[in-house]
Amino acid sequence: MRTILKVDHLFKDFSGLEVLAGVSIEIREGERHAVIGPNGSGKTTLFNIITGLYRPSHGRIYFFDKDISGWPAHRIARTGISRSFQVINVFPKMTVYENVRSAVVSKFNRRFNWVSLLDRDKPIEEETFRIIELLSLTDVSDVPAFELSYGKQRHLELALTMSREPVLIMLDEPTAGLNSEETKGAIQLIRRLTEGKTLLLVEHDMDVVFNLADRVTVLGYGTILATGTPDEIQAHEEVKKAYLGRK
Amino acid sequence: MRHLPLRRLAWLLFAAFLVLFPSLFREIRVHIATEVLTYALFAVSFNLLFGYTGLLPFGHAGFFGLGAYAAALIISHIHGMPVLVTLLVGALAGFVAAIIIGSVCVRLSGAYFALISLSFQMFLFAVAYEWRSVTNGDDGMSFVRPDLYLPLLGKISLQNFNNLYYLTLVLASMGIIGCYFVLKTPLGNAMVCVREKDVRASFLGYNVFLVKLTAFAISGLMAGLAGGLFAIYQEVVATTCIDNNMSMIPVLMVVIGGPSHFLGPVLGAAFYVVLQDWISSMTGYWMIIMGAIFVLIILYLQGGLASLFTSSRVWRGGE
Repeated sequence: MRTILKVDHLFKDFSGLEVLAGVSIEIREGERHAVIGPNGSGKTTLFNIITGLYRPSHGRIYFFDKDISGWPAHRIARTGISRSFQVINVFPKMTVYENVRSAVVSKFNRRFNWVSLLDRDKPIEEETFRIIELLSLTDVSDVPAFELSYGKQRHLELALTMSREPVLIMLDEPTAGLNSEETKGAIQLIRRLTEGKTLLLVEHDMDVVFNLADRVTVLGYGTILATGTPDEIQAHEEVKKAYLGRK
Repeated sequence: MRHLPLRRLAWLLFAAFLVLFPSLFREIRVHIATEVLTYALFAVSFNLLFGYTGLLPFGHAGFFGLGAYAAALIISHIHGMPVLVTLLVGALAGFVAAIIIGSVCVRLSGAYFALISLSFQMFLFAVAYEWRSVTNGDDGMSFVRPDLYLPLLGKISLQNFNNLYYLTLVLASMGIIGCYFVLKTPLGNAMVCVREKDVRASFLGYNVFLVKLTAFAISGLMAGLAGGLFAIYQEVVATTCIDNNMSMIPVLMVVIGGPSHFLGPVLGAAFYVVLQDWISSMTGYWMIIMGAIFVLIILYLQGGLASLFTSSRVWRGGE
């Protein structure tokens, strides 16, 4: 299996506070890879650097053969990396339909089109409805995002992440704040949506991780403690001590 | 959005009202209507940034004033330049300046954006004030309104106020309708995305900087056109059309009219100009009354006057 994303000796410090100290990860095409670690271990920072929200202090990131280190977020998004956020990050005053449509417009590379009316664009409309249906949001498609229930907002967050048909999907704690019933549904949904795609996942909930992931990387205060299959990780002495042991 | 026949009829009646305005009212009213149209375009251009892109510029008079000065300089120095070309150059002056100034401003947001846009406008004001050999400083440049030549119609004197009204009506409406259509395109949608959540927009592939800069440039273009129309209407251009007061006028108009409705700024412009004319005919302290109205609207009617006419929620709503 070829490597789709390669993170090579990544360092990040925020004015003296070193959050990542030489992290290297390889994500293989088609796998579901989870990154776990205690609070403050740098999981979200890693996500933010890969997707271009922050620039790395040192180290390089390769997506296929392209060196994308330090690229701006919008450029990285266009290469086929799409992410969700730990805190809901949607367009609050737009309806679900308008939210998803904005993502579809971008996928169709029509972002700067200023001569055709958006409301009359059939292909964009059809694709938008397809995604809305895929995420079971049809019954709320005319509701502004801020009026949705938390669970539905999570779905919308996923819809925005998925609608560009990304090659690499990055989900930052997709089940944060959901109850156990909703979490089960979310796992099903994520499994269905990422079928045949590559998933990189940050998650706190170990049930989610061991349910979804093919491989797991454990991050501990800026460095990689271990990488392996869920079984290997559960058996790993150092990991047990640092993280799982507390359970 | 479906257009009800009733709504179309209302628009038709409104258009007819605007066309027939000069035959229905006295000349002084036509003056005021011309002023309203000019300010309406200025306020709409401001609201592209404030209401739709989520940027609050405190220095929008910079582009308005550049348009006005460009028009005045052309009329004073290049004899025989067609009026429409003069106005186009004024609009382009606003456009080009907005691209240059915007490429610095839109890197910032919130209060910093407001302040840096204000500083650029103050710089332009200082140039207009100090560079007396060109701009005549605060005495201003006065000129005679040139005639308009149109194919088929021939010479049209703009000394006739009705003709000036129609020129302003056509150009301001074109500008305002143009803005309306831009907002209905993917580009307009991108502007709203940036306002709603710029981080999310960039992770969907939108270049936030470029979207903001484009909005800024279109806004500058329209403000420049409004400035040119203002110059031709006034037959004099002085530093008052590029100063801080002029920058605050669209802010007031948009807040009064309502930033979350496309026509809010138009309503605000009409309200502002008409009220100013009416109160100032009675007392010299019209600013106090205007200020009080402004405070009341901010306190009790945050959606502006437009929210009185629109019942349902409007997703484009500003803050």
